[in-house]
Amino acid sequence: MIRQPISTRLAILLGILSVVALLMGYTLLSYVQHLDNPDDTTIPTWSQLGEGVQRLLEANPRTGERWLLLDAEATATRLFLGLFYGIVGAIILGLLMGCYAPVEALLVPPLSLLAKIPPTAALAVFFVLVGTDTEMYVAMIAFGVLPSLAQSVYLAVHDVPREMLYKAYTLGASQMELIWNIIVRAVYPRLIDSVRLQIGPAMVYLIAAEMVLGDVGFGYRIRLQMRLLNMNVVYPYLAILAVFGFGMDYCLRLLQRVTCPWFIRHGR
Amino acid sequence: MKARMFKNTMIVAAVAVVLTVPAFWTVARADEVPAFSLAWSEYPSWSAFGVAHEFGFINGREGEMGPIEKKWGVDIVLKEADYDTCLVMYGSGKCDAVCITNMDALIPSLTRKSVGILPTSTSFGADACIVVGDITDIKQLRGKKVYGLAKTVSEYCFVRNVEILGEKESDYRFTNMDPAAAALAMQQKRDGFDAIVVWNPFVLETLNKRKDARVLFDSTSIPGEIIDMVVMTQESLDKPGGEKFAWAVIDAFYTINREMAKPETRDETLIALGEKFSNLNLDSMRKVVKQTRFYATPDEGVTVLGREATAGIMEKVVAFCVSHEIVPEAPAVGFGSREEAEEAAFRLDPTYIKGFVAKSK
Repeated sequence: MIRQPISTRLAILLGILSVVALLMGYTLLSYVQHLDNPDDTTIPTWSQLGEGVQRLLEANPRTGERWLLLDAEATATRLFLGLFYGIVGAIILGLLMGCYAPVEALLVPPLSLLAKIPPTAALAVFFVLVGTDTEMYVAMIAFGVLPSLAQSVYLAVHDVPREMLYKAYTLGASQMELIWNIIVRAVYPRLIDSVRLQIGPAMVYLIAAEMVLGDVGFGYRIRLQMRLLNMNVVYPYLAILAVFGFGMDYCLRLLQRVTCPWFIRHGR
Repeated sequence: MKARMFKNTMIVAAVAVVLTVPAFWTVARADEVPAFSLAWSEYPSWSAFGVAHEFGFINGREGEMGPIEKKWGVDIVLKEADYDTCLVMYGSGKCDAVCITNMDALIPSLTRKSVGILPTSTSFGADACIVVGDITDIKQLRGKKVYGLAKTVSEYCFVRNVEILGEKESDYRFTNMDPAAAALAMQQKRDGFDAIVVWNPFVLETLNKRKDARVLFDSTSIPGEIIDMVVMTQESLDKPGGEKFAWAVIDAFYTINREMAKPETRDETLIALGEKFSNLNLDSMRKVVKQTRFYATPDEGVTVLGREATAGIMEKVVAFCVSHEIVPEAPAVGFGSREEAEEAAFRLDPTYIKGFVAKSK
C-alpha cells in the first residue's frame, strides 16, 4: 500500500544502510581511481583523508594557524550575521505585507522579482555596492534570503483564519495585541520551516562569495586546496558543511517541537 | 491485437537500431583515429587553440577533424574551462593535456608523471604590482595589504620582486583575492586597496581606468621565470597516437603564430585571441601580446625546454612552491627525452617540437 508506515527500527536500519552504501561506493570509487593511478589525490583513500583531517586540525608549522578554527570562525560569523539580518528583515516586511494592504501593494511586486535573482549571479553587484569586508557577505546572505522568507511570512499571515482575528477584535484586542498574540504566534512555526529551507541557499551564497573574495573561510580554503589538488582537505571541509547544515536543521526542528507542540501534533 | 504488437515491436527495433548504429560507428571510428583531449582556459597564448578551432585549422569537437588533425591522423578534443578547473581536470585524469604554467604544473606532476611538450609564452609585464596614491617605493607597502591570488604566479611575482629589491617577505602582507575582484576594488577606489598584484587583462584595465594607478614592478624583472605551456601526461604520450597528438597540438599553435606574423591576418587573429579574454581594444591587445611574449617559433620552444635555459629557473620555482606549501615535497624535474630523464616527475622535453619539425619537412 502506498505510504504504508514502517517500524522505527526498520527506518533507522534503512537510514544506516544508505549511509553505509554511500561510504562503500566512495571506497570503491577511490579504489578504482588508485588502480589507475596509485598516487592519485583527487579521490583520496581513507588514509589520505585521515592525513587531510590531521592537516586541517593541527597548527600550521609555518604560520601557527589552525585552518579549521580560523575558517570556522570567519564563515560562522558571516553566516549567522547574514541570517540574523535577513530573518529579522523578512519577519518585519512579511508581517507588514500580510497585515496592511498598502504595504502589500507596495512590496509584493519588487520582492517577487528580487526572489528570482540568484545572489551568486549578483555577486559582483554586492561587491561593487558594499565592498569586500564582512558586511559584503552579510549583505549577500541577508538580501539573498530576505525576499523568499518575507514572502513565506506574508503568505503565512494570509493563512491565519479570519475567525481568529474577528474573535480577538470582539474581545477588545488592539491592533498590536492582535499582531503579537494571534498573527505572530500562528506564523511562528511556519517561519521556522521557512528558515530551515533557507539555510542551504545561505550557505551556497556564502561559499561562492568566499571562493572569489575571501582570504579566510570555508569557501577560500576549498578553492585554494582544490587548485592544489589536496582533495583530502576539501572532502573533510564538505563533510563538515554537511554536518553543520544537518545540525542546524535538526536544532530548528527541535525548537519547533519544543516551542509549538500544537503545530507538530496537528500539522504533521 | 497482433498487428498492434507487431507494430510496437517494429518501432522498438527501429529505435534500437538508431541508437546502436552510431555507437558501433563511434567504436569503429575510434579504432581508426585516436582522440586526445586538451583542457585550456582563456589566456592570450592558450586561446590560440580556441582560435585554431574558430579559424578551422582544427576541430575541437570529438569525432570531427580539421586539416591539422587529418594531417597527423589524430582527433584533438578541446575542453574549455576556467584555469582552476583545467588544473583539477588534468590532476584527476579527465584530460590528456592541459594549458598550465610551469609553476602550477608541479602540483599534478606529483601524482601523474607530466611532460612539458610546448612552451607557449612567458610573462614579460603581464603580471604586475599596481599601486596608487603616493606609493613610489616597495618599502611603503610594509604593513599594508597587497591583494592578489595566493599561491599562484601573482604571489610568485610579488615574492621574487621583494627578494630582488633586497626586502624580507615577512615584512609584507600578501592577501588572497581573486584578481578580477582586486582590480575592480582598486578601480572603484575602495579604501585599503593601495596595492594589487594581478595579471592581464586586469593590469591594462586597471591602468586604463584609474589614471593615478601605476606599475611599481612587474614580471619584466624576472624574465622567463613564469612560463605558460602545454603539459601532457606521460601515460597519454605512451598511448598509440599520443606522440601524433603532441605534434598536432604543436602544429596548431605555430599555425596561429604564423597567422599573427602575417600583416594581412595579424589584426583579425589578435581580435579573435582577445575576444573572450577581455574587453580590451586592438591597440591594448597589441600591448598584451608584447607583455605576454609568445614563443612563436620551434627554435624558441626548443631553447626554452632545454636544460641550459630553464634548469636554474625551475630550481627557483620549485624552491618557492615548497616554501609556500604549494607542493608538499619537491618533485623531481628533468630535461630531455624519457630515456634521458626517466625518474623525473615533471620533464621538459623538446623532442616533440623537434619531431614536429622533422615530420613537417
